[in-house]
This record gives sequence, C-alpha cells and structure tokens, in this order.
Amino acid sequence: MEPIRYVDRLNEHYRSQGFPAYKWVVHEGAPLTPLGKPLAECTVSMLTSGGISRSDAEPWNPNARNDFRLDAIEVSAPSDDFQIHDAYYDHRDADEDLNCVFPIDRLRELAQAGVIGGIAPRLWSGFMGRIYKRRAVLEEEAPALARELEKDKVDLFVLVPA
Amino acid sequence: MLLSTGRDLTAQVLPPRSAFVNFPMGNPFGHPQDVETQRAILFATLRLAETAQKGGTLVDLDHEWDEDFATALD
Repeated sequence: MEPIRYVDRLNEHYRSQGFPAYKWVVHEGAPLTPLGKPLAECTVSMLTSGGISRSDAEPWNPNARNDFRLDAIEVSAPSDDFQIHDAYYDHRDADEDLNCVFPIDRLRELAQAGVIGGIAPRLWSGFMGRIYKRRAVLEEEAPALARELEKDKVDLFVLVPA
Repeated sequence: MLLSTGRDLTAQVLPPRSAFVNFPMGNPFGHPQDVETQRAILFATLRLAETAQKGGTLVDLDHEWDEDFATALD
C-alpha cells in the first residue's frame, strides 16, 4: 500500500474540529555530522516517544500535551518490565513485546555480536504526546538531552517516534 | 537517526538521517516476537550512520506490512 498521508489527514482533522490551519515544520535541508569511526566502535543510545515507562515508574499521561518529562532508562532494564500509556497510537502489540516500538533486546544483541561498539548506560523515553512549544524543544529541552548524551559519550542516537 | 512510519511528515521535517518503514504506528519494528524483522530494521537504521552522504537523507526500507492499515484518526 502507499504510505499514509498523515499531513493531509491531520489538516483535514484539525479543519473539521474548527481549528486554524496548523503550521508544520518544513526544512529544505539538514546538517550532517560525519560519523568518523565504524559502527562497530560506536556507543549507541535510543529514545522512544511512545509513552513508555518502567513498571515501577509513574505512568505517562496518555493524552499529554507539552509534557517535557524525560525518563532515563537503565540499559539493563528487562523488556517485560515496562508499561505504556499513550492515547495517540495502538500499542497492543508493543504491550506484548516492547521491541515492536523500543527494541532494547535487539540493541543488546547487536552489541553482543559486535555490530555496534556498545550501548550507553542510559536509554531515554520522552517528548511523548503532543508538543506545541517548538522553541522550548529547540532551545531548551533538546539541547539539555544532548548534554546528557555527551556525558554518556554517545556516538549515535536512534530516535523512534511510536 | 530517526526511524519513521510517517513518510510525508519526515520528508517535511528532514532530520539528518532517517529511515522510513511502511508499517502502522505502534509497530515501527514489526510484529511481536518477530525477532528477525525487528533486528533487520534496527540494523538498517543504524547503518545509515555509515552510508548517508548528505544531511536530509531519507531511505525507504523495503519491508512490507502483511495487510492494509489505517491511522489512529480512522
């Protein structure tokens, strides 16, 4: 099947709700920082924005708006010790197997096999729900996370929206 | 790198390196217990770090979902 046209669908949805037209982020290009070393020598971390938290942590607000909570996930966390609270997507499969949205077992296997150099001590869950404060993300929240990644000497960061 | 299930959104935002997989939201790495597909998609996403030559690279992965699917808005 053809990829779903989410932008058209959301524009239509907002219009039907009587909201003003949403101003999408549109970029003409992007910078690229060369890797500088092979994948097999890279330290990798990963972020999910899918409303995922450890079983003993607070559940996410499933209808979150402008929630800048950010959970650090211990690298050794068992994949069956998580909960998902997110009203924006169907997470029944991910409830059964976290790796559908946040493949921590697969990442550990790639590290064990030497495909990647290693995994950072912290993985991340955050930027969940709907965030409309673009400037806060660009100028505060994302740079703050980048500083944490630098502390963990992360070379590669995998971002996975649900 | 970003792994996306929304091609049009990702093409607009244009992160430095993205992979698109035409799977439903909630299943970017595939089905539960499908270890092979999960690993292949994660590896393909990581590989972009070595292969992307310019910022804004968006690669279409060739995995196909087994049936048509809708959005959460439907």
